[in-house]
Amino acid sequence: MKITISGIFKYSRSLSGYFALLFIFLLACANALAQQDSSKKLKEVVISSSKAPFIQTITPSQQITATDFTRYSAANVADAIRNFAGVNIKDYGGIGGLKTVSVRGLGANHIAVLYDGVQINDAENGQVDLGRLNLNNVQEIALYNGQPPNILQPARSFASASILSIITVKPRLDSGKPFLITAGVKTGSFGLFNPYVQWQQRLSNNWSFIINSYLQKANGRYNYINDDGLVKSRQTRVGSDIDAQQVDGAIYWAKNDSSKFNLRANYYNSDRGLPGAVIVNKPPPAGQRLWNKDLFLQAGYDHLFNSGIHILLNSKFSKNYLHYFNPQFPSTAGFLDQNFTQHEYYQSAALSCYLLPNWEISYTADLSVNNMSADLPGFRYPTRVTLLNVLASTFILGKTTFQASLLNTNVTENVATGTTIPHRNIFSPTVMATIKPFDDACFQIRGFYKYIFRVPTFNELYYNFITNTKLKPELTNQYDLGFTYSKNLDGLFEYISFTGDAYYNNVTNKIVYTPNLYNGSVENFGKVDIKGLDAGLKTQARLGAGYDAVLSVNYSYQQAQNVTDPTSSIYLNQLPYIPKNTFAFNAGVIKGPIGVYYNQQQLSSRYYNNNNNDEDYLPKYTVSDASVVYKGAYKHLPVILSAEVNNLFDKNYMVVQSYPMPGRSFRISFQITI
Amino acid sequence: MKQIKLKYLFISLAFATVLASCSKEKIKPTPDTPGSERAGLYVLNQGGIGHNNSTLTYYDYTLKKLTSDIFTVANTEKLGDTGNDLGIYGSKMFIVVNNSDLLDIAEAKTSKLIKKINLTQPRSVVFYKSNAFVTSYSGTVSVIDTTSLTIIKTINVGRSPEQMVVSNGKLYVANSGGLDYPDFDKTVSVIDLTTLAEVKKITVTVNPITITADTYGNVYVLSAGNYGDISAGISIIDNTTDIVKSQSDLSLGYNIPIAAYGDYVYYPTADNKIAMYNAKTQKLERANFITSDVTITAPYAITVDSITGEVFIADAKDYSSNGTVTAFDKNGTKEYSIETGVNPGRITLLNK
Repeated sequence: MKITISGIFKYSRSLSGYFALLFIFLLACANALAQQDSSKKLKEVVISSSKAPFIQTITPSQQITATDFTRYSAANVADAIRNFAGVNIKDYGGIGGLKTVSVRGLGANHIAVLYDGVQINDAENGQVDLGRLNLNNVQEIALYNGQPPNILQPARSFASASILSIITVKPRLDSGKPFLITAGVKTGSFGLFNPYVQWQQRLSNNWSFIINSYLQKANGRYNYINDDGLVKSRQTRVGSDIDAQQVDGAIYWAKNDSSKFNLRANYYNSDRGLPGAVIVNKPPPAGQRLWNKDLFLQAGYDHLFNSGIHILLNSKFSKNYLHYFNPQFPSTAGFLDQNFTQHEYYQSAALSCYLLPNWEISYTADLSVNNMSADLPGFRYPTRVTLLNVLASTFILGKTTFQASLLNTNVTENVATGTTIPHRNIFSPTVMATIKPFDDACFQIRGFYKYIFRVPTFNELYYNFITNTKLKPELTNQYDLGFTYSKNLDGLFEYISFTGDAYYNNVTNKIVYTPNLYNGSVENFGKVDIKGLDAGLKTQARLGAGYDAVLSVNYSYQQAQNVTDPTSSIYLNQLPYIPKNTFAFNAGVIKGPIGVYYNQQQLSSRYYNNNNNDEDYLPKYTVSDASVVYKGAYKHLPVILSAEVNNLFDKNYMVVQSYPMPGRSFRISFQITI
Repeated sequence: MKQIKLKYLFISLAFATVLASCSKEKIKPTPDTPGSERAGLYVLNQGGIGHNNSTLTYYDYTLKKLTSDIFTVANTEKLGDTGNDLGIYGSKMFIVVNNSDLLDIAEAKTSKLIKKINLTQPRSVVFYKSNAFVTSYSGTVSVIDTTSLTIIKTINVGRSPEQMVVSNGKLYVANSGGLDYPDFDKTVSVIDLTTLAEVKKITVTVNPITITADTYGNVYVLSAGNYGDISAGISIIDNTTDIVKSQSDLSLGYNIPIAAYGDYVYYPTADNKIAMYNAKTQKLERANFITSDVTITAPYAITVDSITGEVFIADAKDYSSNGTVTAFDKNGTKEYSIETGVNPGRITLLNK
């Protein structure tokens, strides 16, 4: 049972070790704090007054804030981050189409999406549809390669190859104006009608709440050019309508800065068409449907004790229901009707303290229970219990910062019938460092190594009638070396920031799903070597005469090679759907209340299979978007009016083979704040 | 003693070869030289489901030339999604394009399209006396006149019918019920080829998919089982009485192509070896037919040349890159290997 790969694998049978560890940790904290009382001073958050983006993190990070969403013509989280270096969005097209993200050549299952610090987990698929995550209540989105820089956080933040962190809008009101209501509507192509409202309310000095709600209705129709061999014809994508509603509410309590509590409830309901692949000789596919009913409750408590011990508690309960219907399945019944329900119970506890003024340590434990039921014949009804323990430490020595963490993952799975995966106990380390080699603090060198894995999802293990309980975790090693340069300037440019990172990732035991008509097979099939480069430039300039300009450029190079079998004809071939070169460009000119923006994304050719030949070829494409934003006032009430054109030059392209993307589309929106 | 046995075997082999050759329209006195009668071979590649990348590879024996997709060379359109079966009858070639709901009829020698017939999820094709028979997941076999190229009759069979074989003037259809999981079908429909009506349903091992027949009056049916408590297996039907004369469990893999020629029946086992079953003695002849140092990762199709006795085995490899077809002589020695498209599921020989 013992597997030895670059990480350390061990099998443990008792929890007593963890409690011993916790005890030692607390003892160390108490001992250190008895000797010094400087923690308060250290806790101060450094808030930069500069406009330069916060890029000098210990691991590579990229951010986008709410004010920039229109600049990128973004309607959802997937749109908002598509320009990020190293990011590859798999988009099946249209307003209700699935959009998943993969980072630096690692699969979509290697990214964890956090919602106010707590993971949106899908034990069934292991991927989050970012197209479904609306931007109405989002304040900021950040992508971290490796893990976020803060060591006081839930253990799950340490447990993925990269982290996409979504931070929601928090009520920030004073007694002078105890409420803020923002209402808006978006409409345009695809028959879109998307009204939304946000209500922030201050209840007392300590209490406040926020409620967000939206409705999204669209027929989803769009035209595309179908290339049926050598004959091209104009067709309409049908069966991709959506009718979705979301209500999201949170109540906040804060007693000065050292004690905070929040409780959030979120409910999402949708009914959407699921257009399939466009098949030669068949009419445009329509009729498949998906219904989602997702509820989650999440609570967080953050407290900094006078002793200097900082604790962070997070709890979550979620229930996800999915109903799939295919009216054209060629079985005797003639249709396929499936229902899936997942539950998650999650508790995280983290604490940190400073052993020395320049040495912070933390310990975090996350316990989660995930189960799933499905009305599939012979379904196994799996329950997965995952215990994560992390010890982390940040140590600053002069101009050098060291950070290290060790994650222990303990997975136990039970099924109602049949066999399941063996108990897994895996240790995975991360080490990171930054150094400012020059007197000029603007320049920083950083590097990290992370060893992490993903466990097979419930679908990979149990969906088919041949279950795949021999699947092992998919393991990744990440190595990164990069630099950042960020400087506030006084001349024409207000700031300039530049980042560059070279990385090498390798994947072993890659979990590969091969579909076939009866049932797909899932195997630990491959090894992958990824060598890449991420580079980004951001600047802002005062052009004079009241004109300001913004510019952001990102470039990614990804060589993701199949290194499974040196004797095979596909050895060293590029992985499917990963472009070698991606170039993203965003520029805007702002004068007074009006901003005009242009966004362009260029992807080099890709292959959708392993052959890397003409038959697998997906041509390169360039897609451009433009937007005009007016931020003004109507009778002293702030209003925002925007008009966006997506796919400005009406480019006909595909991200996923047989799933044509929409041509030119429009969106206008109006928002007023009371 | 051993020598005598071997000698015996060789004589009977030669005898059977001649006999088998005699039963075909064209007799060739020197069957061991490939290319003397064959123009080449077609490999129908399924591609990936939903990828619209089914291709038709052609290997020309004389020119030793490989064309990776002769269909797009000869026509102005793509084959479509998941080409599942290909059969040649006279001058015409019938290509079953499963997920495109299509039966393409083309000139056998040029691959040039003659006609397209829409059928719901067609699966496989066989021929008998100027008719083509095509199974469809709608639970039917369509009878198509190979001259007028029209559907003359639709016969109801079992659920999710897969492959067929003609034996003793009857058509045997494997009814898998594969899409009705877990309620699989477990029957073989027998169709009288004179009346074109189903005359019997024979119960076999659950989930029958592939089928072939020998010259000793046996019809071999491979079933995948229910992927649970019922194992995969082989059922052997007597083509006179239409009764299952033997039924046994087999350790089969994901793919279960089967082919019979002369004294032998070939099918892959779970360890991706090609089992060689003796039709005459009804015993396993060899656990692995292949004697050369060749590994087949995912055996996806088997075809035997009835003239030369050569065995062609397709390998789908990782199911998402190009596969291969390897030709073996009748002793299991590798002759050559050609590259195909993605998921080579059918190998069909073309006469000159």
